[in-house]
Amino acid sequence: MTFEGLRRALERRAPGRWELYRKTSHSRERDTCRGISRIAERSEEGWAARWWEGNTEEPAAALRFAAASSAEMLAAAIEDAARLPAGGDPVPDLPARGRKSPAPEAPAPIEDPPDLGPALSAAISAASAGTSSLATLAIRVGVAHERIANANGLDVSQALTAADGVASAIATNTRETGKGKGSSAAARAAFRFDPARPDVERLARRLADASLLPLSGRAAPFRTGQWLLEPAVAAAVLAAVAPAFCGGRGPSWLSRETAASPGVRIVDDAGAEAAWDGEGVATRRMLLVESGEVVARLYDLRSGKAAGRPSTGHGARPSFREPPRCEPRRIFFEGSSPAAAETLLSSVRRGLVARALTAPVRVDLPADRYEAEFTGVSVIGGREQGPVAGARASGRISELLRRIEGIGSDLQFFPMPFLAGSGTLLVERAAFD
Amino acid sequence: MDWDDAAIARELDKLAPQEDDIADVFAERLTEISIPWRDGSPGDPRIRREAGTAARRRARGAERLAFVSGAGEEAARAAVRTLLGEKPARSGRPVAAGTPETGAAEASRWVRRLPALLARHAPRHRLRLRILHAERHVVAARRPPADFARRLVSVEGIVVAASRLGDEDRLFSFHAPDAGQVADELRTALVEAAAPRARPVPAVPGAIDVLLARGCAAVLFHEILAHTLEADAERSPLSDAGDAPLTVTDLDVRDDPRRLDLFGGYERDDEGTAPRAVKLIQSGRLGSRLADRSTGGRSGSTGHGRRAAASEPPQPRSANIVVTAGSASSEELVRRLGNGLWVDEIHAGSVEPSSGVFRLAFQRARRVSRGRLAEEIGAGYLYGEMRAALRGIEPVLGREVHACRTLGWCARDGRVLPVQGEAPDVLVRGLSMRPSR
Repeated sequence: MTFEGLRRALERRAPGRWELYRKTSHSRERDTCRGISRIAERSEEGWAARWWEGNTEEPAAALRFAAASSAEMLAAAIEDAARLPAGGDPVPDLPARGRKSPAPEAPAPIEDPPDLGPALSAAISAASAGTSSLATLAIRVGVAHERIANANGLDVSQALTAADGVASAIATNTRETGKGKGSSAAARAAFRFDPARPDVERLARRLADASLLPLSGRAAPFRTGQWLLEPAVAAAVLAAVAPAFCGGRGPSWLSRETAASPGVRIVDDAGAEAAWDGEGVATRRMLLVESGEVVARLYDLRSGKAAGRPSTGHGARPSFREPPRCEPRRIFFEGSSPAAAETLLSSVRRGLVARALTAPVRVDLPADRYEAEFTGVSVIGGREQGPVAGARASGRISELLRRIEGIGSDLQFFPMPFLAGSGTLLVERAAFD
Repeated sequence: MDWDDAAIARELDKLAPQEDDIADVFAERLTEISIPWRDGSPGDPRIRREAGTAARRRARGAERLAFVSGAGEEAARAAVRTLLGEKPARSGRPVAAGTPETGAAEASRWVRRLPALLARHAPRHRLRLRILHAERHVVAARRPPADFARRLVSVEGIVVAASRLGDEDRLFSFHAPDAGQVADELRTALVEAAAPRARPVPAVPGAIDVLLARGCAAVLFHEILAHTLEADAERSPLSDAGDAPLTVTDLDVRDDPRRLDLFGGYERDDEGTAPRAVKLIQSGRLGSRLADRSTGGRSGSTGHGRRAAASEPPQPRSANIVVTAGSASSEELVRRLGNGLWVDEIHAGSVEPSSGVFRLAFQRARRVSRGRLAEEIGAGYLYGEMRAALRGIEPVLGREVHACRTLGWCARDGRVLPVQGEAPDVLVRGLSMRPSR
């Protein structure tokens, strides 16, 4: 069975209403964990099909999805899926494009990932005065080729590259302070890196802070104050709130004229990552919040159809195993006049700096609530006073967005798992406990 | 899988010349069917068929793993060649799978049965039925080949419970191997989930004594014992426990993958080893570690080498927590609790091994006042430190053991595996509680 054979089979089953996807990937991963070193080399093939079966005159039809690790298995899975019960789903307007010959498929040769372990280990030790140490490190480099075709004549291909990793560090209290001698705390960080210039120092500082600060045992000294979120924390908050911008209808608090501070822009732009989304719609920059007002929303084909809008190119397909879904692809805070992170810190009169999260950010989007547990430092008069082992900021998401009074120029992106980015973020007031 | 196992094993023997070296090939074929149901109507069904093969060589503290798509003998040879640094088959393109097995036919029984169950016992719902069938094959140097298969059923989502005070969305999850009386158990779980209840009052933060009922103590022990005793786990407050008593002598906790009636059970682990039950706590003292072939040392693997997927290396991981019953009735334990919290369902748990801090999330609970069940409490978290929690366990355990069917999938380092457990009612003093906001 070939790509062409599957196209014909889908056209016979659901004339004019199908989509076919193939991904081949090749990656190498270096994993270092407690003295064991592992290299994993993976060559993977994935296929997926989505089709709407039923009367072609009807606007809705039975939507089914099948995924498999070979063309032959996909053909069998399509037959099996056709026997499963399915509800009616509005058939979206599949994107059209002139036929284009697919790009060559031979995967580029990939070398073993760089061994960042020794450098990262030394940097963590230096950043924590020897208190924190690298526990695990997994780094991966890979390349993938995607091909997407549909019943409307679309046939696009693209190559994607990835260089990312996960590291963890453990800090142990060697003095009779804070949580007590011998107490430990661990921290984990997911990151992307440039294989040519990996920023080990920045990652080391992040891990050292996240593992070391909880050992201080000190609670937040203030119940309210300014809140300075370092980029990793601010990006996690944005990633948690991001689903509010997806699909036809957001929560009511987002439709107010002043949904965010006037100086804040929220943008999604995956142009630097991929030319197409997982449904073959061209990637474009979407300005979501401008001058404090929501000016656009994100759609994939299905949510766009439901809202009577075209897709904005946000049919995300992180794996061939799942059908595309409406999701941000590279969302970030953008300041109209970004400031240096040091300037933002010096402008904190009394507040907390969130250096790392100690639990995932929790949000209740319909109820307009958020809760972020973090570790960091207290600041008075622009000067750091001391560590804060754990604090919790909670309140209304709408107030958090409206109270942003500064965005740093130190924009960084983090896999969450879609890319979310932010510079240092200054919130004029937050409640802590 | 139709391989020439002897030929593959001969190639692997060359890769593992020393007695301590490990060389193996692991192949998996799986079919997953997933159907959403909303108020009795099906949504968009999904079917996934995958086949993958990984070859592994481990020697002198270094490991190399090569994965290719496909589960035929050609894929096994391609994975071994990649491991040897030779050019993979078809110029690096993944190798096609072998003959696919049928999948939808296996699901038809559930597709027929579930709508009737839902219509009768929980007519308003947003649930997803998931049926997973996996076949695995392992060939290793100097060991006999092993084949094994598992079929698992999960139903997860929201059940809408109607009451005089208005509709209420309740989280629902049910995980079980597809065998025996599972449909009857699911029916019971649905009836309980959809039953009318009083309006909850918010949880009040602070220290509290807790009775973990209806098997949900298995989640606590999964977090604080199983994860910390996985042989490759980071150091935890239990690492230095030695032979010191940690908890009451009545408490025996073991991890038993051989319990095939539980979601985490299997006949062979993913390295082909027959599993054995491992005592995690015996007579109040810390027991042994859960090991795979790499971490087993002289005593060898305990049969806990598990892979989240064919593309992932095996790790020592927990399977089924089994807690031995005591002698007290549920009523006696509620009386013994006096004032505190009665929790019969925990829907999520986590632990940070290095600090020993754990957290258990519940959607609903009952306050206990003067030895009697009182008002309903809304969603919250129980948390504490693992050694303190073990010290806080009362020496009287419930006499009935319940499978904890809400415990189903466990993620560690992003690798997700089926797990489960069973436990009697367990009374723990001195935990902390906080409401979810």
